[in-house]
This record gives sequence, C-alpha cells and structure tokens, in this order.
Amino acid sequence: MPTITIDGEKYQVDGDQNLLSSCLTLGLNIPYFCWHPEMGSVGACRQCAMIEYKDSEDQSGRLIMSCMTPIRDGGIYSVNAEMAKEFRGGIIEDLMTNHPHDCPVCEEGGECHLQDMTEMSGHTMRRYRGSKRTHRNQYLGPFINHEMNRCITCYRCVRFYNEYAGGNDLQALGRNHQIYFGRQEEGRLENGFSGNLVEVCPTGVFTDKTFSAHFVRKWDLQTAPSICEHCAVGCNTAPGARESSNNLDPILRRITNLYHHDINGYFLCDRGRFGYEYVNSATRIDKVLSVRDEDLIGSTADNKDILHKEINPQDAVLNLSVQITAAQRQLRRIIGIGSPRSSLENNFALRQLVGADHFYSGLNYLDQEVLQLVNSLQSDDRILSPSTPEIETSDAVLIIGEDIYNTAPRIALAVRQAARNRQKQAAQSLKIPLWQDASVRQLEEEHSPIIFIGTALSNLDDIADATLFESPQKTALFTHALAQEISGYKAPNLKMPPHLQEMVKRTAAILLKAGKPLIISGTSGKHPGTLQAVAELSRALSDDKKTPTKLYLACSEANSLGLTQLFNGTEGNLQQLVQTLTDQRSANIPTSLIILENDLYRRLDKHSVEKLFSLVDEVILLDTLLTPTAKRANCIFPASATAESQGTFVNNNGLAQRFYAVYEGKGFIQESWRWLVDAVDFCTETCENLSVLKEWKHSTDISDAIAREFRVLRVLDELGPDENFRIDGLRIARQSSRYSGRTAIHAQEHVSETPPINDPDAPMSFSMEGIHNPNKTQLQANIWSPGWNSNQSIFKFQEQVGGERKGGPSGKMIERPRHPIPDWTNTLEKSPQPPNSMQMLPIYRLFGSEELSNQSMAISELIEAPFVLINPKEMTQHGVNEGELVDIETSSGIYRTEIRRCNTTPEGCIGVPYGLPGLETLAALMPGYATLRPAATHSIAGVEN
Amino acid sequence: MIASQIRSMWLVFKHLFRRNVTVQYPEEKPYLAPRYRGRIILSRDPNGDERCVACNLCAVACPPDCISLQKTEDPDGRWRPEYFRINFSRCIMCGLCEDACPTYAIQLTPDFEMCEYDRQNMVYEKEDLLIDGPGKYHDYSFYQVAGKAIAGKDKGEADNEAEPINIKSLNL
Ligand code: SF4
Ligand code: SF4
Ligand code: SF4
Ligand code: SF4
Ligand code: FES
Repeated sequence: MPTITIDGEKYQVDGDQNLLSSCLTLGLNIPYFCWHPEMGSVGACRQCAMIEYKDSEDQSGRLIMSCMTPIRDGGIYSVNAEMAKEFRGGIIEDLMTNHPHDCPVCEEGGECHLQDMTEMSGHTMRRYRGSKRTHRNQYLGPFINHEMNRCITCYRCVRFYNEYAGGNDLQALGRNHQIYFGRQEEGRLENGFSGNLVEVCPTGVFTDKTFSAHFVRKWDLQTAPSICEHCAVGCNTAPGARESSNNLDPILRRITNLYHHDINGYFLCDRGRFGYEYVNSATRIDKVLSVRDEDLIGSTADNKDILHKEINPQDAVLNLSVQITAAQRQLRRIIGIGSPRSSLENNFALRQLVGADHFYSGLNYLDQEVLQLVNSLQSDDRILSPSTPEIETSDAVLIIGEDIYNTAPRIALAVRQAARNRQKQAAQSLKIPLWQDASVRQLEEEHSPIIFIGTALSNLDDIADATLFESPQKTALFTHALAQEISGYKAPNLKMPPHLQEMVKRTAAILLKAGKPLIISGTSGKHPGTLQAVAELSRALSDDKKTPTKLYLACSEANSLGLTQLFNGTEGNLQQLVQTLTDQRSANIPTSLIILENDLYRRLDKHSVEKLFSLVDEVILLDTLLTPTAKRANCIFPASATAESQGTFVNNNGLAQRFYAVYEGKGFIQESWRWLVDAVDFCTETCENLSVLKEWKHSTDISDAIAREFRVLRVLDELGPDENFRIDGLRIARQSSRYSGRTAIHAQEHVSETPPINDPDAPMSFSMEGIHNPNKTQLQANIWSPGWNSNQSIFKFQEQVGGERKGGPSGKMIERPRHPIPDWTNTLEKSPQPPNSMQMLPIYRLFGSEELSNQSMAISELIEAPFVLINPKEMTQHGVNEGELVDIETSSGIYRTEIRRCNTTPEGCIGVPYGLPGLETLAALMPGYATLRPAATHSIAGVEN
Repeated sequence: MIASQIRSMWLVFKHLFRRNVTVQYPEEKPYLAPRYRGRIILSRDPNGDERCVACNLCAVACPPDCISLQKTEDPDGRWRPEYFRINFSRCIMCGLCEDACPTYAIQLTPDFEMCEYDRQNMVYEKEDLLIDGPGKYHDYSFYQVAGKAIAGKDKGEADNEAEPINIKSLNL
C-alpha cells in the first residue's frame, strides 16, 4: 500500500484509487462536483483542487485536480494550503454567478450538494453584481422536475443518463457558457433509471416531482431501512414519511436509494423509486370492511361484487375468532392462502394459524413449479448466484428468456456495465486507471459479448451483439443445444436450422473463451423447460471451467423465493386447493378462506377463482389495496404496506433481508400477522398451534419461530437485533436530530404533546431521541454527516469509497441444502398447439406489469392501454392492421385490445403484456393459447365475459 | 463594614427623591421598539401576496419546535404554506425564525399581550398569523430576487436576469 503525506500527516492508501477518493476514504473533506464514486472522474468542474509538492523541499507546490491525480507512493499533498483554498473559493464563486438564488423554493435545499460545497469552500457572500444567464425549463414527464437555472455544468446528468444507463434523450445542448441539459423536445425522460438524476445531479436541476407534491425537507423525514417491494432484486431503500397536514397520520413521501454494495449500489430503477405512491392511493384500504347487507338501489357494481361498509375492528376480529374457535371444535374448516408479495413473517403466521396442511402458497401450479426450479438450481454447488458487482465484472453475458429491464431492472443496469469490460481490459493493458472515465470510454473497443435469446428484450438492444427472438420452446431447445455443444456431446435428434446451429457454435465458443461468463434467466417466461435447459447449460459450463457458473435467476415478486421455502415442490398450489375443496364438497363442513395480501385473479383463471369462492362460505382478506379479490371478500382487514411494517424478504440471490417500519400506517392499518394474533387472542379454545400465536408480541418473535421451524431459514434470527437492543442505552432514532415542528404539528388537535408511539418490533424510536450516527448501526437510514447533507455523505459510512458499508453487508444468505440438480436432459416437451390458435407469451413492462406500483399516481400516467403484440406476417394472415382493435378469445373470456406490430414476436405467438391494467386476468392463462380475430364493432378496449 | 451600610442607606434615601420608573400598566403603555420580540406575524409582499414560501427554515430554526407548516404549490407557480401553525404556548420569542426566514415573511412584533385561560387558544393558524401589510420590510419581494418563474414574472424578469437563452440558436 502506498504511503502519502497530506498536510503533514502520513496515510496508507489504496493505490488503485485517485487522490480525491483516497482523501474522502480517509475522512478528509474535499469539495467536488463532477466526480462520482460509481462513474469516476472527468475533471470538468475543477472544484477538487489540491496542492502537490515535488518533494519535502518544495515550498510552493503546484495545483492539481485531486480527482484526476493517481496516487504516487511517497507523494506529498495539501488540502489546506492557502493557494488551494483560494483556487477552490474562486471556482465556487464562478459557478455561483448565474445561480438563481431560489434555495427556499428548491426541493434540493437542505440536502443540496451545491449548498454543502459552497459552504465548505467558504463562499458565503456574493460579490458578482452583473446579469445572470437564464434558461427556460422543460416538461420531463411525471417523475422529474426541471429547473435549469440551478445548473453548474458538471455533466454528471448526461454522463449518468447516456453513458451509464444507456439513455439517449437527454443531451448537453448549446455551447460555451450557455450549455443546456435537457431534451431536444419537451417530453418524458424515457429511460427507466431517470429517477437517479435526482441524486446524481448535485444541484436542484432535476428533482423528484412526486416528492414535491407532498414536500418536506430531508431533516423532517422519518426514515428506516427498507427493501423495495416492486421486484425480487431486493434493492435497499430509505423511504421517508411525515405526518400529513390535515390529520395526524403520517404519509409516505418519497423513496431514496440506500446503498447496498452487493445489490443496488448507488442506483434504483424508476419503478422502485416512484412506485411507493400506491401506499397513499385511492385504492388503499385503511378501514376494516365487511359486507353491506342492505340492498343499494341503482348500484352499478358487478352483481357478484360485494359492497362493503366500514365496521368496528373489534367486531371483525371477534367474528374471525369465532370462526377459529369453531375450527378448533371441528365445526369449521379454515384455509389459508399465502402470498409472494408479503413477508415471511406474515406468511408463517397464517400457516401457523391454519396449520401447514391447510396453508396454500397463493401461486398457481406453473408459477410454483418454476420457482421450485429456480430454488433447486440455486441449490447446486456448480451454480453461483452473482451479486451486482459480480455481474458488472463479467466478460460475456448470455440472457435466456428474461427481459430483465422489465423484470429485474437494476440487473439490466449492471449488465450494461458488464458490456464495457473489454474496454476496461484494454484500458488496464494501457495502464489507464479505470476511474479515468473519459479516457477509458474513448478506447474504441467492442462491447463485451452480450447475447440474448427469448421472447422480448428491452433497453439492452444497443449493447446486445446477437439477439434471437424465439418462443419459450425454441429458446429451451437452443439452450439445450448450447449445453450439448459445450459438453461436447452431440445429440443426433436436435433438429435446428443451420443459422441457429451456427449461432449455437458461436455462443458456445464465446462462453468457453470468456474468463467470467454470466448466464441470466428467470421465471417470467413461465416455462419450466427453459429453466431445465439453463440448468443443463450451467452444469456443462461449470464442468468445463471447473468453477461454479454464475447464473442470475430473476423471480417475479419481492418474496417469491422466501415463500418457496415454505413448500415442498408444487404442493400447496392453488389448483390443488380448488381440487381438494371440490373433492371434499360432500363433507358439508363450512369453510372459511383467509387470503393474505394476494389478488387471486392474477394467479388463477377467472373460472377457477369463481369456483374457489363458490366452494367456501366466508372469504377473509388481509391486504393493502382494494383489488378485484377484495371485491369478493366478506371481510377485509387493512394490512400494512412494506414501509409500514417489519418483516423479511428473500431476494433473487437467496439473500434474506429485513425491512423495518418507517412509520405507523394510518387508521386501523396494522401488519397482517397482528390481525391474526388479535383474533387468536379472543379465542376461547386453544390448541398448541394457536397458543404459539398468542405468544407473539414482536415481529422478531415470528422471525425466530421461522428460524426454528425451517432449517433453510435459520438465518432469520440473525438478520438484525431484536427490539431490546440498545446502543449506549438508546434506541436508534427514526427522526433526524433537526426534526421540526414537534410541539406544533399536532397542536391543533391537542396543545399538549403526546408521547411518541413505542415500536414493539425494532430497537428504534419514532422520535428524534436516540442514535443518529449510521456508523454505529446500519439501522440508521438517514444518511447524513455534518457538512454533508446530501445522500453523497454515504462515503462517510463505507469502509472505503464505493466499498462495503461499515459494519459489513446487511442481509444473510438462506442456507439451502446442497443438491446436485437432477438430469433433465430428456424432458423437452412438445405440447400440442390447438388448431388456429396463437400462443400467448407474457411480455413485461417496467410500468404496468407489477401490481402495487401500478397504483402509484405518477406511474399510472405511463401505463399503456391494453394491447397485444404480433409480428407483421401474422398480422396480414389475420387481416388486421396496426392500431386496430382485436378480440382475444381465451378460456376465461374475450379481451378486446389494440393490436401492435412487433417484428420480434415469434411466429404463431402473440405478446401479451403481463399484469397490464385491463389484462390482469390474462396473467394466469399464460403461456396458454388463444384465438385472435378482428373486433366485430369498434368499441373501446376492455374485457368481456 | 459600617461605612458600607451607611453608604447603602444613603443610596436608598436618595432614591426617595427620584422620578418613578414603574409605569401604571395597563393604563399606561411603555414604548417598545419595532424590533421588539413579541407575537409573531406573517407578512405580505408589496403586491399584497403572501410572502411565506413554505421553505421550512423557520420551523427548523425554532428551538422549541413550535412552528409547523406544509408546502403546497399554487397554479401560478408560487410555493405557499397549505397550513402554517405556531404553538405560542411553546414559543420562547427568541426570534430565530425571523433570522432564518429568507423572505421576511415571518416577523416578531412589539405585541406581547397574549394571555389566555385555555392553552389551546395559544395555537395560531395561518389565518391568525397573516397580516395585510409588509411589516417591517416595505420593499422586499422574494420572487423578484429569485429565479423561479411565477405567473407575471417569467424567466429573465427577476432582478439582474438576462433574457432566457434560445438553445436552438447558434449562440455565438
Ligand atoms: S440547487 Fe442547491 S443551491 Fe441551488 S437553489 Fe437548489 S438548494 Fe439552493
Ligand atoms: S443538470 Fe445537474 S448534473 Fe447536469 S450538469 Fe447541471 S448540475 Fe450537473
Ligand atoms: S430493480 Fe427491483 S428492487 Fe430494485 S428498485 Fe427496481 S423494482 Fe425495486
Ligand atoms: S422561513 Fe419564512 S418563508 Fe420559510 S417557511 Fe418560515 S415564514 Fe415561510
Ligand atoms: S471533481 Fe475533480 S474536477 Fe470535478
């Protein structure tokens, strides 16, 4: 390790870093703008000036830009030399000459890197009296505000948006002192990572529009570490909440990135950042609802829909407990349906209540089958699930049947970085340090190979050097052939056209040549054959390389893999439930169905759901949103959303991560498991199962119980401290030490302050009392350090800039027993296609496919109207034209949608957007068959029965 | 010792012939300078618009945390407090809010007569705080200085601002 001297002190530093990041790692404060820990240096802003001395004799030294200076062993530098300070003061004064002076009305104010750096550089008084250059702003869509006058021309925004995230609709326009960062024409920023501009831009040019609609300053936000619930990548977030204006209830106000070295690093996707608003949406359930008996004249509701009225929570809980008691006496049967979007704790509590035999997964057969496949693949020692940095350093990527930009967005961003590895290798051979971003990017190397085979690919097409659009069956066949090519075994029976054979050979050669190949696949194709072929391929590659193959498998929902651990194989799937109930219909025992945070219409075809409801007497739902299933429930309990509760999710890697309540949900909202425990508390008769529930007072009680019951989930009791943990006798404060308005915010109701609510689940306070320093505990999600008010202060809490959080990585890998994957080589199925039908292939949308974020106001603006994709050839065959309405006839009804041309949709298939509002109920039918015909009359898109 | 006591008695005796400094409050009211720190008001700018832009700086400066407000944005582009509340039963009249305010909206006044039998009556809302004039600062208008465009004041029209750049021109 090189040793350097800074202002007379000797330090040992990492020689691969530049001087600026080394100094920041040492804890020194040096102002900077254009350098970014993830994006490296370009030397554009000149704010990070330091002095370098030739030797100890040198008295004056020379000015250097620390972000552009490699570490020299024995180098002597100064941050505090007068010349450096003066230079930095001059730079900030120049940068501020055109500043519009609108901090009070700027959303960035209070967490503005420009404010921090201005202060740090000592520029406290404005001398410039000349005229200021001004710009007009642009409309950039529902997510981002634009206030161009605040720009200091650091170029971070375009470097992130274009170079890092692959966008192409944000440019540096104009020239000299009039540079403008915006779009050629007004309009929505199209890249799905645009939200990161809010944190990347060191000023208030790009701010969060959804936050602005219910704005408070950073210091007024109550926060706790959370996990994004909008896909299974498991990005760490820091949601912020504060009491709303008209009543005492807090509302969720925004999401910001919470650095996790192995998952999200510095960036989130837009679904994760802006999807939070579902929590405050009109469809949110915050009361206990039950069937309304009186007939409403002229009601427009569907005749099967149940009309609800608010009831007293105690009555509802009592009613549930009566049913539970009846079940104890064998007079009633209670069935529980779990959910992949709810925490392990909630699922386990329901399982405990109804008994393992009566607990169902809430997934259909196929979804559960593919999840179990993922699980068994990841349990093989020859397969390794890579972290984000590992993905970023792969030198060849093969993506099989997964449109990751829409199903695991953050991973697509990582793959984009992997594409640059050839360039980076070239840089290294030329001895250009990797942080020299502009120089590295100038090297005209080809992309590292990225190969795609599957149904649809979004956002990555510009870096993919081979793409093959095929149906899942053909994708599996291709993968299978590839595995055989790699293992050197030639099956005589694989019939493939020559161009595919050629591509198989080429891909195999690429994978074999690569030092760090990566395969990506997932469950979104709903095709077990593909996953089996992927298994075969990974195994073949691992045998050849003698190291585990890196295989990233994307699952669909935040806790998909967690839920999978509670079931054996496909046991407990929903079809099985319908079958069991049908078989036992004659038993004539009343049945209650408790559904946990699950919309069954997205899981099963409509007829099966109707059948299920007709087979039970009482439907009890615990959920956050008023879903179609809620409209059929006799009783609805309002459940906490992720940011309102504590629990555990298991992400795509098998990493169990705990999220903490940021605030208490409004009204009667509480965690689903608490409703169940409340009901059991009222029961007059108990058995062993139920008395366990009675004992549960804290979320961690359940985590511990899960750890005891399931060996694979043993790590759950080590995920974090329990509610009794204290640091220096104190809890961890959710509110910053400058939280304002404590004695006024509730004063209109009652002038005397009420004590803060106690958190029964976590060692954290709902007040400003307690530990604030994120270096003392990772439970502190308010990333702030004196003089560093913006999120950039994260470096103060890392081992080194861009490294692990101090205190080690959070989350723990679940411990799945190691099993070699079975030999699936001969299971390539050939299912018959009904005549004249088309196969419905699920295609995914960043905005529109995920259930919860669809209810977010900003995201719902971007969701497309129902449509299906078809290739031009089929279009002619069916006699339909682009934009026309067609009827999709399926086993659960006719869907009228717009038709769109798509050259890459495989023949004989239509691409159906998964979960898109209006087509949600098609999700369960895919990848089944449908017939397509032009709509008889032109009417609006929608569903018919 | 004795000398000091005699001196004290002499001083007390001398005061018998001095003018009274106690005034007969409330019949008689002493002069309080405009900068006196009493009851807080919210003022308006010279055009009669609410000055407060809901920046939250007063609230965060307040030592007993007795100011609370919520930002909202009007169609004219101005930020305004949706509600603005001061709990005077907590206020210590330190004036830090006035110091922190970048718009001269919040000002302390020489009125200190705020007795109530019921503490709840000490909670003032925006309607109670907002006065009709500019208070101590007659000419200041925040939006005239700051670059954010609002209805009636476009980009380039604030103090010292040049015409907005046309990014589609050659910009030589
Ligand atoms: S960008 Fe920063 S310095 Fe500029 S107005 Fe906003 S808060 Fe103030
Ligand atoms: S808009 Fe922000 S990120 Fe972009 S150049 Fe200006 S200050 Fe830098
Ligand atoms: S990638 Fe997934 S987990 Fe990460 S922010 Fe996006 S939706 Fe959330
Ligand atoms: S500091 Fe002034 S402008 Fe800001 S919220 Fe308080 S009164 Fe309003
Ligand atoms: S940070 Fe070094 S020049 Fe901008």
